[in-house]
Amino acid sequence: MAYAVEMLGITKYFPGVVANDSVDLKVKEGEIHALVGENGAGKSTLMNALYGLFQPDEGTIKINGEKVVMQSSNDAIQRGIGMVHQKFKLIPSFTIVENICLGSEPRKNKYFIDKKEEYKSVVEISDKYGLKIDPSSKIRDCAVGIRQRVEILKTLYRKANILILDEPTSVLTPQETDELFKVIRNLVNKGKTVIFITHKLREVMEISDTVTVLRKGKLTGFKPTSETNENEIARMMVGRDVLLRVDKKAIESEQKPILEIEDLVSTDNRGLVALNQISFEVKPGEILGIAGVQGNGQSELIETITGLRKIERGIIKIRSKKINRFSPKSIRETGISHIPEDRIERGLNLDATIEENLIVTSHDKKPFSSMGIFDFNKIEEFSEQLINEYDIRTSNSKNKAESLSGGNMQKIVVAREIEEDPDLLIAAQPTRGVDIGSIEFIHKKIIEARDQGKAVLLVSTELDEIMSLSDRIIVMYEGEIVKIIPGGIADEEELGLLMAGIVPDTLQSKMRREAK
Amino acid sequence: MLSKFIDIAIIQGTIRMATPIMLAAMGAMVTGLSGIINIGLEGMMLLGAFFAVVGSYYFGSVWLGVAVALLSGLIMALLFAIFTMKFRAHIILIGITINAFALAITVYFLRDWFNVAGAFSDNAIVGFNTVKIPIIKSIPILGDILSGYTPIVYLSWLIIISMHIILYKTPLGRHLRAVGENAEASETLGIKVKGIKYLAVILSGIFSSLAGAYLSLGQLTMFTENMSANRGFLGLAANIFGMGTPIGGALASLIFGFADSLAMRLQGWETIPSQIVLMIPSALPILILLIFSVRKKKELKNFKEENISKLLSGK
Repeated sequence: MAYAVEMLGITKYFPGVVANDSVDLKVKEGEIHALVGENGAGKSTLMNALYGLFQPDEGTIKINGEKVVMQSSNDAIQRGIGMVHQKFKLIPSFTIVENICLGSEPRKNKYFIDKKEEYKSVVEISDKYGLKIDPSSKIRDCAVGIRQRVEILKTLYRKANILILDEPTSVLTPQETDELFKVIRNLVNKGKTVIFITHKLREVMEISDTVTVLRKGKLTGFKPTSETNENEIARMMVGRDVLLRVDKKAIESEQKPILEIEDLVSTDNRGLVALNQISFEVKPGEILGIAGVQGNGQSELIETITGLRKIERGIIKIRSKKINRFSPKSIRETGISHIPEDRIERGLNLDATIEENLIVTSHDKKPFSSMGIFDFNKIEEFSEQLINEYDIRTSNSKNKAESLSGGNMQKIVVAREIEEDPDLLIAAQPTRGVDIGSIEFIHKKIIEARDQGKAVLLVSTELDEIMSLSDRIIVMYEGEIVKIIPGGIADEEELGLLMAGIVPDTLQSKMRREAK
Repeated sequence: MLSKFIDIAIIQGTIRMATPIMLAAMGAMVTGLSGIINIGLEGMMLLGAFFAVVGSYYFGSVWLGVAVALLSGLIMALLFAIFTMKFRAHIILIGITINAFALAITVYFLRDWFNVAGAFSDNAIVGFNTVKIPIIKSIPILGDILSGYTPIVYLSWLIIISMHIILYKTPLGRHLRAVGENAEASETLGIKVKGIKYLAVILSGIFSSLAGAYLSLGQLTMFTENMSANRGFLGLAANIFGMGTPIGGALASLIFGFADSLAMRLQGWETIPSQIVLMIPSALPILILLIFSVRKKKELKNFKEENISKLLSGK
């Protein structure tokens, strides 16, 4: 079969690093090709070269057998390459149709947008490839899964034949991921070629025909998926054996809970009820996992506990002490630390140095400052120690946080919050967008905290993470707790249904009723 | 009692006073939508007012006066665009610089060119005459409200309507709105982000210098120091209050215009202290905006409480 994409001997230098070192990528026409590797392995560099965002220093690119040089992403689009970026490139206040056609609007009378025509063509494409959308709803009202569909439709509207999907599942729930996989298979059946970037091994096995593995800018594996397995790919990615399961001791806690929540009610920014009379508790030495599709009240729950959102009704207690009216700072001082779900927005100051980010939650206390004056030696010493311990890859602790890769940024947040030595650690999406080596490490740290007798509240949309870490699991749906289940006995299918708001018992009885 | 305040003259006054603010609001809108805060509108308006008088004085034609004003607006806009986009100067600093420069240079030129201080008026300056629109002028009441202004008033209405059409019906307008909201996304879709930003800044320069020409040739036929008197900033405020839409910005400008017009009417009333009257143009809009935002906040709160109590009673 012919190759849709051939990238041969691609080398790209960035100041101080070789991002791609003589990498080959061969993608057959009509296949699903997984491109895997840890953060910083050079996947994005390779794909940006293919998408024309920059040119490789060495090597050739062939599209459908023809050698090409691409000066810009417009050239790539002209040659039928489409890319769905990890960070969506959408205009929130525009409708789905407006977003899909932006920049290539059909016209009438030369100067005006032909709104009927653009609506029609969007509906046509969405029907053809089975990507269901409501064309006139605004992007800001759309769930993440829908936004991703819009991104895919955007490439199809521009007649892409080769689709690059950059970590498309990192923002999706299991159900949304299943739907995406259906869409991808559908696309391939209709003759498209898909390059699928990921570092989730299970997905590689499930969806891809061929897999290419990169490590530190070099090609370390290229195989048909059927001839390899998860452990082998992991080894090719990391360069050593990786523990895919988490080891942990059983919980033995009969102590008083650290966090108690009673009948908590809270609203979202639009004034709609986001938390509907939620009650639960977290005990010392316990990891309580909160599973749920994004946007079902988890964010509001964390914001309410950490004092970032108003409590409308109900009580939050830390070690039996009511903290309803506490400020975020005084809540932290009661012994809560918080790994926020969005490290860029809430976790870090990208303009500040790594050091400053590491001490920001305790900069006003000893040993980092006394009488309002910083002790820079102490700060540096502390930072160096954390940088070593948490393996934050940087040349200097005084570099800006924005100079780091996503995984290393996350390690700063994790290091800072765990070193606070809290009684309750709130970890929201602690491993989002982080490579497997770092995931393993962060998981180990969370388990360590639990084994030291800390309470951990873990919020994650990654079912694997929830299932392997949690001692108990709460499933949230539309601001309510659907069910609380012990961690050991949860299975993925049941969790998936609960996350969709379907309680298996009622599902069965409903089916029975309908059968009658 | 009320009819003593609200009569046709006060509505006409509202429209007249609102015109320069509306034009500035349109300038604030196009730049704002493309992601640029142009506080230099004020200075561009002042320069426009000055050069309109200069052009009219030397060429003896009101329209050539307007042309010179627009040229000054164009040059200032280009300077603004080049300094902020090419040399990456701070956008607010450049705005402040333009405002300070405009104030200083007009005072200087007044002395150097015309040998006057404070104000310049001369019989050689040709101002605008009012124009009655045929047919419309003969409609009772409405004819008096919609007709009988200087041409720039009608031009500003035309600008508002065309901005509405361009923004919501043409690819160009859609691209402009996209650039301001997500420049990176627009760039990847092949939209020329820089070109659009330049265009937006140039339009804002043209609109605000037109507003300036209106002040010096449409209302008074003279130039006075600091003639723009913060109307550029009022335009910025009107645009924010109008939520970045042409119609919204125009309506908000009318509120400002009404306050101005009301203050002028009350100046004739000796029973009201002049200090209070002078306060009206700035205090009234703030009061109105305050009422709106307090109401909005209250609405959200009520909505929230309603949702919660619905939920609690349902259980």
